[in-house]
Amino acid sequence: MALKADIKILVVDDMSTMRKIIKNMLGQIGFTNITEADDGATAWPMIENGIKEGAPYEFIVSDWNMPQLSGLDLLKKVRATPGLEKLPFLMITAEAEQGNVVIAVKAGVSNFIVKPFSAAVLKEKIDKIFK
Amino acid sequence: MTGDPSNFIDFSRPFVDACKNIFTTMVGSPIEAQKPQIKSDSNSRGDITAVIGLSGELDKGGVKTPYRAMLVVAFPYDTYFKVASAMLSETYTTYHPDIHDLGGEIVNMIMGNAKRDLKTLGYTSNMAIPSLIEGKNHSIKYPTGTTVVLIPFTSQFGPLYMELCYSINE
Repeated sequence: MALKADIKILVVDDMSTMRKIIKNMLGQIGFTNITEADDGATAWPMIENGIKEGAPYEFIVSDWNMPQLSGLDLLKKVRATPGLEKLPFLMITAEAEQGNVVIAVKAGVSNFIVKPFSAAVLKEKIDKIFK
Repeated sequence: MTGDPSNFIDFSRPFVDACKNIFTTMVGSPIEAQKPQIKSDSNSRGDITAVIGLSGELDKGGVKTPYRAMLVVAFPYDTYFKVASAMLSETYTTYHPDIHDLGGEIVNMIMGNAKRDLKTLGYTSNMAIPSLIEGKNHSIKYPTGTTVVLIPFTSQFGPLYMELCYSINE
């Protein structure tokens, strides 16, 4: 893997089983420093604290449909924050609609993945983001 | 089921295809659909039942008709534990809070995938939030006046059962 194994990754999903599946896949790919958040509203202060503490997250993997703060709203907050304009952000969604892709791209998403997906597909998307 | 039965056959295909796709990609095990049958009772064929609603409009030649649908996937305990073990890379042999939302995630993915194909058939659709029923001998509350089609599946982890209700206001 060209990327460092210990880049700081935040996995955001309101479904605990999906967080675990994504975490397992990231582990299979070779990543070791993975933290979980159970929705966008929980993730945002974690991202802010990471900056304050001088150990910012280096990659966000987020579900789209979540209560309180959706993946799209989390992405918009991230992109509106000075210093996070280029933070790699992978959006995951169950809905394979072209309209969603366009909305996410306009909001500055780094890449987009539709469920179901395998670890190999996840790796491909990550490689494209970090190439 | 109400309305043109051919609508229902077209309508059900994306759900069957999506379910097969999800099992192949995320469970690592292909599943086989068996012959569909009309279900005449409300008893779940499984011990863990995931349910999600769908509503929207069917656009046929510019005429838009509202429809409602419900997708159910029911798992016997043993199938659910084996599917959870395969998806989460841990061994589960009893019901556990860690795997509670897995059924909901599966129906969510099926519905999300099916939506794309339904759109090509003229259906716009809005997904509801999935829910889960767990326990031996539970029943399912179907929308009034709908017929339920049961599609059994076989897999290396055991049987599972998809059910679809569909009603269109023609």
